[in-house]
Amino acid sequence: MSAAIRLRGLLLATVTLAAAAASGDDREAFFESRIRPLLVEKCQGCHGETIAEAGLRLDSRRAVLAGGESGPIVVEGDAAGSRMLAAVKRSGELAMPPDDPLHPDEVATLERWITDGLPWSGPGGDAAAAPAADAEARLASALASHWAFRTPERHVAPEVSASFDPTTRAAWSAAAIDRFVAAGIAAAGLAPSPPAAPRDLVRRLHLDLTGLPPSAEEADAFCRDPGDAAYAALVERLLATPEHAEHWARKWLDLARYADTVGYAFDGQESRYPFAWTYRDWVVGALVADVPYDRFVTLQIAADLVDPPVAPADLAALGFLTVGRTFVGNEHDIIDDRIDLVTRGLMGLSVACARCHDHKYEPVTAADYYALHGIFASCRTPPELPVIAEPPPGPEADAFRTKLAELQARVPAHEAAVHVRATRDAVAHAADYLWETARPAPRGGDKRPPRLADGYEMEQLLLDRLGRKLDGCRDDHPLLGPWVALKVLTDEACTAALPDLLAVWGLDGDTMNAALRAELASARPATLRAVAEAYGRIVARAHAVAGTAEDTAELAAVREELTVPGAPLVVLPTEAMRVANREESTKHRSLQRDVTRHQADAPGGPRRAMTVADKDAPQDSHVFLRGNPGRKGDLVSRRMPALLGGAAVAQGQSGRLDLARTIVAPTNPLAPRLVVNWVWMHHFGRGLVDTPGDLGLRGAAPSHPDLLDDLARRFVDEGRFSLRWLHREIVMSRTWRQSAAIRSELAAADPDNLLYARASRRRLDWEAWRDGLLAAAGTLDPRRRGGPGVDPLALDSLAVRSLYARLDRQDVPGIMRVFDIANPDTAVHVRSRTSVPQQSLAVLNAPLVVEAARRLAERAAAADDETFVVQAWRAALARDPAAEERSAAVEWLTAEAAAAPAASAGAADFGPRQRLAQALLATAEFQFVD
Amino acid sequence: MHDEPSCRRFSRRAALVRTGMGMGWLGAAGLLAAESEAASAASGPALTARPPHFAPRARAVIHLFANGGPSHLDTFDPKPVLEKYAGREIPNNLPTERRTGAALPSPFAFARHGASGLEVSELFPSVARHADRLLVVRSMHADVPNHEPSLMLMNCGDARLVRPAAGAWVTYGLGTENQNLPGFVAMCPGGYPIKGTENWRSAFLPGAFQGTYVDTRKQKVDDLVQHIRHPLLDRDTQRRQVDLTARLDRRHLEARQHDPLLEARLESLELAWRMQAEAGEAFDVSREPAHVLARYGDGVQGRQMLIARRLVERGVRYVQVWHGEGQPWDSHEEIEKNHRRLANECDRAIGALLDDLVGLGLLESTLVVWGGEFGRTPTVELPMSGTGVSEPSGRDHNHHGFTMWLAGGGVKGGTVYGATDELGFKAVEKRVHVHDLQATMLHLLGLDHTRLTYRHSGRDFRLTDVHGRVITDWLA
Repeated sequence: MSAAIRLRGLLLATVTLAAAAASGDDREAFFESRIRPLLVEKCQGCHGETIAEAGLRLDSRRAVLAGGESGPIVVEGDAAGSRMLAAVKRSGELAMPPDDPLHPDEVATLERWITDGLPWSGPGGDAAAAPAADAEARLASALASHWAFRTPERHVAPEVSASFDPTTRAAWSAAAIDRFVAAGIAAAGLAPSPPAAPRDLVRRLHLDLTGLPPSAEEADAFCRDPGDAAYAALVERLLATPEHAEHWARKWLDLARYADTVGYAFDGQESRYPFAWTYRDWVVGALVADVPYDRFVTLQIAADLVDPPVAPADLAALGFLTVGRTFVGNEHDIIDDRIDLVTRGLMGLSVACARCHDHKYEPVTAADYYALHGIFASCRTPPELPVIAEPPPGPEADAFRTKLAELQARVPAHEAAVHVRATRDAVAHAADYLWETARPAPRGGDKRPPRLADGYEMEQLLLDRLGRKLDGCRDDHPLLGPWVALKVLTDEACTAALPDLLAVWGLDGDTMNAALRAELASARPATLRAVAEAYGRIVARAHAVAGTAEDTAELAAVREELTVPGAPLVVLPTEAMRVANREESTKHRSLQRDVTRHQADAPGGPRRAMTVADKDAPQDSHVFLRGNPGRKGDLVSRRMPALLGGAAVAQGQSGRLDLARTIVAPTNPLAPRLVVNWVWMHHFGRGLVDTPGDLGLRGAAPSHPDLLDDLARRFVDEGRFSLRWLHREIVMSRTWRQSAAIRSELAAADPDNLLYARASRRRLDWEAWRDGLLAAAGTLDPRRRGGPGVDPLALDSLAVRSLYARLDRQDVPGIMRVFDIANPDTAVHVRSRTSVPQQSLAVLNAPLVVEAARRLAERAAAADDETFVVQAWRAALARDPAAEERSAAVEWLTAEAAAAPAASAGAADFGPRQRLAQALLATAEFQFVD
Repeated sequence: MHDEPSCRRFSRRAALVRTGMGMGWLGAAGLLAAESEAASAASGPALTARPPHFAPRARAVIHLFANGGPSHLDTFDPKPVLEKYAGREIPNNLPTERRTGAALPSPFAFARHGASGLEVSELFPSVARHADRLLVVRSMHADVPNHEPSLMLMNCGDARLVRPAAGAWVTYGLGTENQNLPGFVAMCPGGYPIKGTENWRSAFLPGAFQGTYVDTRKQKVDDLVQHIRHPLLDRDTQRRQVDLTARLDRRHLEARQHDPLLEARLESLELAWRMQAEAGEAFDVSREPAHVLARYGDGVQGRQMLIARRLVERGVRYVQVWHGEGQPWDSHEEIEKNHRRLANECDRAIGALLDDLVGLGLLESTLVVWGGEFGRTPTVELPMSGTGVSEPSGRDHNHHGFTMWLAGGGVKGGTVYGATDELGFKAVEKRVHVHDLQATMLHLLGLDHTRLTYRHSGRDFRLTDVHGRVITDWLA
């Protein structure tokens, strides 16, 4: 079957599908939109796979029909006769759900469902077996049937159709890509477009490979010799430039959801990552070196684990994992973000849904998800990020280091102060702590320990520790024995017993701590509370006299039991921030912020890599039922998703390295297809698969499946994972070099260019547009590469490419959003491409454009208008103006000079030539690439 | 019912998109043009107005966000019985963010207003004039007593995950009626509320649907709207410049067989030119007559309510008006003084806004929503070190039960819906979760919240996730 026929089949199928959806399989839609959510939300928490109260499960049609321990709950088609309905109506003895009655609408919905005969669709339907078998069966069926789950194979490229003219036929016969594409075009009764005009082609090639337009000189040179050899040489030259690496690095950063901030930060917290840029620079460097894609990915997931060990600079690759949002410290959200990044980001497989339940569509289970969760839960952020490059020695570096040490020392000093304060408070309330172990105060809904009359709130941490200590003491314990003996008595019994006990305790031979005995003897407590107060006094005294002449062995023994590090009433320095009050926490954050700010802002510091490391003891994760960490299900061994073989991770490691190797294994069906399609998409404007981030069951089928598979296979086997090889294959193809002109027959037969019978005209993205303005203005400085990000809108950043922008995920500048930059919160394979008037508003009025126009006019300066016009055209559009353009421009300048002087202030600086320069920068020709 | 005709408008590619192969798509309306530039040239840009799923009652929303959490007990949910418990522990103290103690009766007097006899406290005399137009929902509840997650829930339908704001969903679903203005505007004087731009983000929806932030503390139009004017050129001079660009563009276009993409680009330049004038005008309240300005009152609240009215008049789809930077309504202490000041700042302006919407015949089709991210406790907040609260004189956050009111847009006025418990702590009657409010708001706009979906990460997302129900009792 030819590609085009398949394509038609596909179109037909989907159009039919659309019609079916429109006319509606109402029952299925009704189940999916009304019943399934209701069952999931209101019922399955207790009647599901993991908990099946009363033996009842409501997660498959069969289970609903089977009922529970007390028999069937529904009668198909007879709502009134179904116990389930009575339960939700609360009309019988059973009332469900127990706490939160269903809304009458929901009851009515269930009623209709039963009356309709329990229609069910998708997972849990009659076709499905029991869940475990269900998952296996789904996997087997998906592996057997879904194109993207099979390892891509070579395909024989078809012969080029005899219907093409001989020149075209010869040209399109050389490369595999062209032969696959030609087959589709020919089958549709069409012919390819002619090659693009040399000036269009050279501009397209430069912009596509480097994100920058050619200079007029470069364009002229190519137009003088546009032959195949010169073209091939130009491709090689551009592929080897750092600009090429920068341009494609930005696309990769979209996928890596790169930004320079943590996202939302609490009051006092620093939101910047001081070293995210070292990851960005690493990506550029890796692309400059054409690091093979398998290693490129492996280093980004496990640079710290590969053997032989990498040079320190390569540790920066791990920023891939770490530059995401920090979700105000929620560990599980951070892990979820990383799982999504490596699965959907690198393989187009959406696994994240399985955080709460087995995936509804993909053959991915919650166990698969938590197997990956364990891998990332076994990683930690090192307390100090590793240095990957030292600053040049000198006073600046010295000053940086001194200041850093000073700022860093303040953090433990503050923690120590909190520890001292908290311990002092606890010691002062020793009696209250003891009392609480005997007579716990009622807890409120928040379960927090009680607040005392003086405003002190007891620490649960210390209460727990004291409780454990007392549990381990018998009533003959020298210090705590009396308390252990007394606290179990009622108040009356205690009061009754105390006089006798006090007498007994005073006898010789008793092992009681002498300080306690003396205190009890003098205080003669009559109540349990008074005993606690007596303890409180000796604890206070013991604490106060430590290290003084008044200290005694007995008091030292009191401290030993209660107030030395590790004892119940001492907050350890490591625990300090758990018991910190608001003020102390805020101060702690701000001290940490000072450290981060210094590293981000002060010159003379070392570069550091945003790494992760394996924990000393890697750990498996439990399934969290419905994604809730408070409801743990089975423990799942760390392993690869079943879809990718399910292999266990290596002993003693987190499993990141195994995961990386699985992703880039030559037999992995998803990763090579994903990256090949991703590169293709950026060259052509549309992927062979139109859902570049979704190769799963609900993703789009490829328009040219044989081409995609063949290219993916060759990328691995022939290209040895070289991205440069892949770029070369694509831009050397005749397909890519076609003209963008829309021939009338194409407009009718293939308006969306699904057949690639022409090139697609495209608007420059934000980075290429801004860089193009700077190139036209002549302000870009090739020496300004890398390093901490800059404000892309500041007029003192005009020397720096857009890649080097500092990106705050909480505050993406409006102009960048308007030009559709990628949302930095999630792996983005393809940016939205909207067309909104705010884009043109920016073209007309943004200070960036106005400044570029001013610089452009300066650059094109000439004594006469005629020369100015030619030079301005060459600077902005890399070509000479056509004769009629030149004369029109010169006339315009003359008329403009004669027009009434602009009224507004500053307009004098922005004279006719500056205005003309801006008019050129505002043209469609500047903003689009043919 | 819209499926058939709109299907025919689709290009084949659009059909692919629509069946879930491209980006996500919503149930009925027209093509989401953002998907491809070719398509957008054919069927208009992403913000073009699109038909809803069914006949709408409202076509625009003004969300007055009393951020920080206004006390329902001092505004729209009187609990005189608190007097009985004054200074005493209440039986059902529930956990909230901080410690609270005894019951704190409202220091404000309530009175009945309008034919409906709706109870409103002395804090909102101007709003009270519209009592018969208000649907006061006293049984709202949210999930947690903290600002951040509650703001996210109220705006984006999820407390933690990165999800688009309701305004983004609505403009995605319906487009907007005036292409010369943004479809979704978020106004907040002096800076951002807590959680900043996340409150009006588009998340995985295209950036075109993101709320446009306007700092209404600023007064000059140039400062309010980005890129609204050339920094140096006057309008006539700039027109000549635009004409030159257009002339060069036309020549370029002719050499390229009139690619619809390029034609759209040329049109977009003209659109921007018109937008400069229109947006400049819309945000310029100084064009209002003095007596109108006087009715709204001096100050930033008056100015931003007036802008809200001018935007809705001009076809903006979704307007959010935040009270101010940070969390102004967060009266942990001195609630009497603070709530009086806050209400005093905005009451008159809200009243004038409602007056004008009525007068212009816009209230029928404009849904006005007032409320915070939660309410406040009937109990007094206790002082605690580090909180800055030194006297027990305020109320803590309360997500268990709070009040929001709606007006216009097809809701039943002069109505109280639901109730909190005896002391006003927890919603107990006809409980309304935030998702239910969102589902009903979408319903009023003619959108089925279960069908307004977007395919992302391999799944169809919606504002209400798997929750939400339309409260038909609210419909007029």
